[in-house]
Amino acid sequence: MPTLTVDGIQIEFNQGQTIIEAARAAGIEIPHFCWHPSLSVSGNCRVCLVEIEKMPKLAISCSTYASDGMVVHTKSEKTLQARNAVMEFILINHPLDCPICDEAGECKLQDYAYKHGKGESRFEEMKVRKEKRVQLGPYIKFDGDRCIMCSRCIRFSDEIAKKNQLTFVKRGDKVTVSTFPGESFDNPYTLNTTDICPVGALTNQDFRFKSRVWEMSNTNSVCTGCSRGCSTEIWVRNNEILRLTPRFNQKVNSYWMCDNGRLNTFKHVNAQNRIDGAYIRKEGQLQKVEWEEALKVAVKSLREYKNSEIAFIGSPFATCEDNYALLKFARSLGVSNIDFMNHILPGDQDEILIREDKTPNSLGAELIGLKNSSNGSSLDGIMKSVKEGKIKALFVMEDDIVSANQEYEKIFSKLELLIVNSSNQNETANLADIVFSASTFAEKNGTFVNFQGILQRIRPAVATEEMDRALDGMEMSRWDKFGTDYDRWLKGKKYDAKPSWKIFTMLSAYMEGKLKYDMAEDVFSDIAKSVENFKGLDYDSIGLEGVELKNIKSEARLAGVKNI
Amino acid sequence: MSIQKREKNLNFFEKLYIPEIMKGMALTLKSMFRPNVTLQYPEARFEPSSSYRGRPVLVQDNNGVERCVACGLCARVCPALAIEVQASETELEKERYPVKFEINMLRCIFCGFCEEVCPEEAIVMSKDYELVFKKRDDAIFGKDKLLVPVENLKERIEFLRAFK
Amino acid sequence: MNIWEIIIISLIKILIIVVMLLLTVAYSVYFERKISAWVQNRVGPNRVGWLGLLQPFADVFKLLLKEDIVPDAANKPLHTLAPLIALFVAFATYAVIPLGPPVELLGYKINLVVADVNIGILYVLALTSLGVYGITFAGWSSGSKYSLFGGIRSSAQMISYEVSMGFSVAGVLLMSQSLSPIKIVEAQHGWMWNAILQPIGFITFLVSAFAETNRLPFDLPEAEPELVGGYHTEYSSFKFAGFFLAEYANMAIASAMIATLYLGGYQIPYIEKLGLGYTLTTALQIAGFLFKIGALIFFFMWVRWSIPRFRYDQLMSLGWKVMFPLSLVNLIWVAALIMIFGI
Repeated sequence: MPTLTVDGIQIEFNQGQTIIEAARAAGIEIPHFCWHPSLSVSGNCRVCLVEIEKMPKLAISCSTYASDGMVVHTKSEKTLQARNAVMEFILINHPLDCPICDEAGECKLQDYAYKHGKGESRFEEMKVRKEKRVQLGPYIKFDGDRCIMCSRCIRFSDEIAKKNQLTFVKRGDKVTVSTFPGESFDNPYTLNTTDICPVGALTNQDFRFKSRVWEMSNTNSVCTGCSRGCSTEIWVRNNEILRLTPRFNQKVNSYWMCDNGRLNTFKHVNAQNRIDGAYIRKEGQLQKVEWEEALKVAVKSLREYKNSEIAFIGSPFATCEDNYALLKFARSLGVSNIDFMNHILPGDQDEILIREDKTPNSLGAELIGLKNSSNGSSLDGIMKSVKEGKIKALFVMEDDIVSANQEYEKIFSKLELLIVNSSNQNETANLADIVFSASTFAEKNGTFVNFQGILQRIRPAVATEEMDRALDGMEMSRWDKFGTDYDRWLKGKKYDAKPSWKIFTMLSAYMEGKLKYDMAEDVFSDIAKSVENFKGLDYDSIGLEGVELKNIKSEARLAGVKNI
Repeated sequence: MSIQKREKNLNFFEKLYIPEIMKGMALTLKSMFRPNVTLQYPEARFEPSSSYRGRPVLVQDNNGVERCVACGLCARVCPALAIEVQASETELEKERYPVKFEINMLRCIFCGFCEEVCPEEAIVMSKDYELVFKKRDDAIFGKDKLLVPVENLKERIEFLRAFK
Repeated sequence: MNIWEIIIISLIKILIIVVMLLLTVAYSVYFERKISAWVQNRVGPNRVGWLGLLQPFADVFKLLLKEDIVPDAANKPLHTLAPLIALFVAFATYAVIPLGPPVELLGYKINLVVADVNIGILYVLALTSLGVYGITFAGWSSGSKYSLFGGIRSSAQMISYEVSMGFSVAGVLLMSQSLSPIKIVEAQHGWMWNAILQPIGFITFLVSAFAETNRLPFDLPEAEPELVGGYHTEYSSFKFAGFFLAEYANMAIASAMIATLYLGGYQIPYIEKLGLGYTLTTALQIAGFLFKIGALIFFFMWVRWSIPRFRYDQLMSLGWKVMFPLSLVNLIWVAALIMIFGI
């Protein structure tokens, strides 16, 4: 393999790599604004200038190919001088409004100004003022003053989103970013530009001014918007999710996620209609009761039916653990009528990330065995039996099947008993006789299998009543760490919800007690023992990027993310 | 344990204590006629100099709006986690303003870091030292209690400009 | 005088003495606080009434309104008895101290003393020694180690200093050849004050009086830094007030005793030569006696705010190795005075 020397360290590289890529692969960070690993090279910020021996001038490391025997200095006197000069140049027209800017704290320009800047300005003239607060598409605010013309957003919309919507306009120090005339920056991936924008020029309107980035804790999780299952980070302050951001995962989503997943998959966690605790229908009304009472009533009611009169509906929104616990609980009752409902939006799919299967774990639920139970009926069969009065009791977990299929509302009126695990109020829960509040994806441990067969973990980011951030090993912000019970910020709303696997375990405790799980990891190790595709896995081996499950016959698997 | 040797062997009169007692008594007698240093508090009050760090307040500009842009630096720098800021958007030129700004005076240690870190000269330490609460909740000062017109804070702001 | 008249006169005298004593005690507390303030360049109590003069009453009401707490581990009868003993002793002692020379009032010749017993001094010594029981009982019955320490220290201290006190008084008795306080006072006519004739005895008695009354620098029984509150740690409300009262009453009595034994009692030197009328002379003499007591109380307080507390071993060595020998020396000195000068 060819080698080059960076700051006295010999590094191997692949032919065709640029210096910045080679150095990055070896863990040497060369400052850069316009260069992005997933985007084409534009080379206009000049901050990645490095000194290369035997070259007459400094060269930008992002567009200079590495060659064998090259000697590069990223910290030499000359390089530092050039970098300082570039920083000073970029900062000439950059406003000093970090206190207002949302990017502060995760701003490349801010970081480099600290690391490589001079700390003072020789520029005495008036800064060039440009348009501020420009509505650039439905979710993005653009601040022209802050823009350093790196063109990352333009290249993103061209190359990743495949929509030529953004461009530079004007010249010299008046240059600014704008949409093409008559266009709106409205593709399904626009908000990724707020992530890659090295300054605060493009900001997420949904998150605008909600919190400083250093006040939040961030938890590694998975997006639940579709069966892609993009790796995400959940940003939480005062026990409230404020934003989701994509997390780099080469196998699944690269650096990106879609706007729908980013904006619409977490709002229900802190929505007004969250179900808080257990409910029983008394005199026609759902009334809040103690968990114990609801569990006892549920067990007593279920026992009144023959096992052929009961059916269980799992959920592709729930984790593998939840579905497995449902399966096991149903089997312990001798019930074989088990299935789940797919939520497919035909046609709502593209070549980039978005999948038409709008659930994060349909493959997981399938692999667990919810679809192919040997002698039971499928979903349609179950509904037919309900209609005919053969099935009298139904248990629905974490899925609003009534909203998905309005016919069910009528069918459900035939039911004698409907038990629902649900995180929010919805049409299914409203019909139920007994409701257990279920934790959302942001409140529990668990695993999802995406359409490629990649198993990924979700982790609790929001605490429910039964959880404690410190004791349960959740991510904590500085405020979480040092606050006390008397501090208001720690009194963020905590819901009385439990993960579904726990609800089944508790129900089981009132029956034969076959389910004995203390934590999600116990359920998973049980899955790993009994489900072929999960053999030999545990939470530790899943890691941050997930693992590919064995023996998945999915065409999509090969699709991967080669397009992005 | 060994018996430590005295630094100085006392003679008979010194052992009697009496001369030393006399000296002490003379001293206390003398101090009985010295002027008092007591400040008769509710009637006479301590007027702090402009270097005094009383309770932190938010500067309210002449247009009636706070200077604060809710950047949260004070909250970050506060070693006692006394400050909580929630920002929001405003139509004014400053774009950002604190929709909620709370200082928990039970947590505040009057270190003045918030004032030092503030990029907008928006939070300053006042001369106000009379802080009495009957309930924990009373000790959490919101914007209603924190906002003070800039005229009342001139001295401190001048002091900061001269010495900060 | 028939028996009824004696009883009525005695009752009146007792009433006057008790009221006076209570007022003295109340204002002693006030002045204690004022003096401490002056020493420390402060103002002192000045909020209740003019110059804070009603402060003692505020204090008393505060004490009386507090909850009376008796520890579970306490021996309850003794716990209640202890402050009563302390109070009784403090007040009963005052019975034999003459305020002034006998006066003629409404045709009666009245001694300005409740009980003119000819063994008055012995009575005082006996009663003050009894006072230690109050404190020891308090310490023991509270069922608290701090109280117990305080009580034990108190008894050891009292016994130690009573020796030198007794020998010092012996010097006075030799001089006056009587145990009656009135006789002792009369023996100190002119400048023949015992304080001048026997200075060593005066000093030993003074120091012993401090120790007997548990005043600083000898307040080890209640030493706050080490014993919380000493023997009265477990007392509150009325019972605590009892001890508090007793301490200040004891101080007043000690002052009266010192004035009587060593400072000529109600005598003002050569006042009879001024040729003032009988009434005025008597009034002046009573005033003089009260002034002496007041000055001594001030001295007590002044010492308290000047001198720090002794260590316990220092207290004991002072008592046995210094005060006791000195009081014997004084006795010899007095004997020598009588033999040589025939006073």
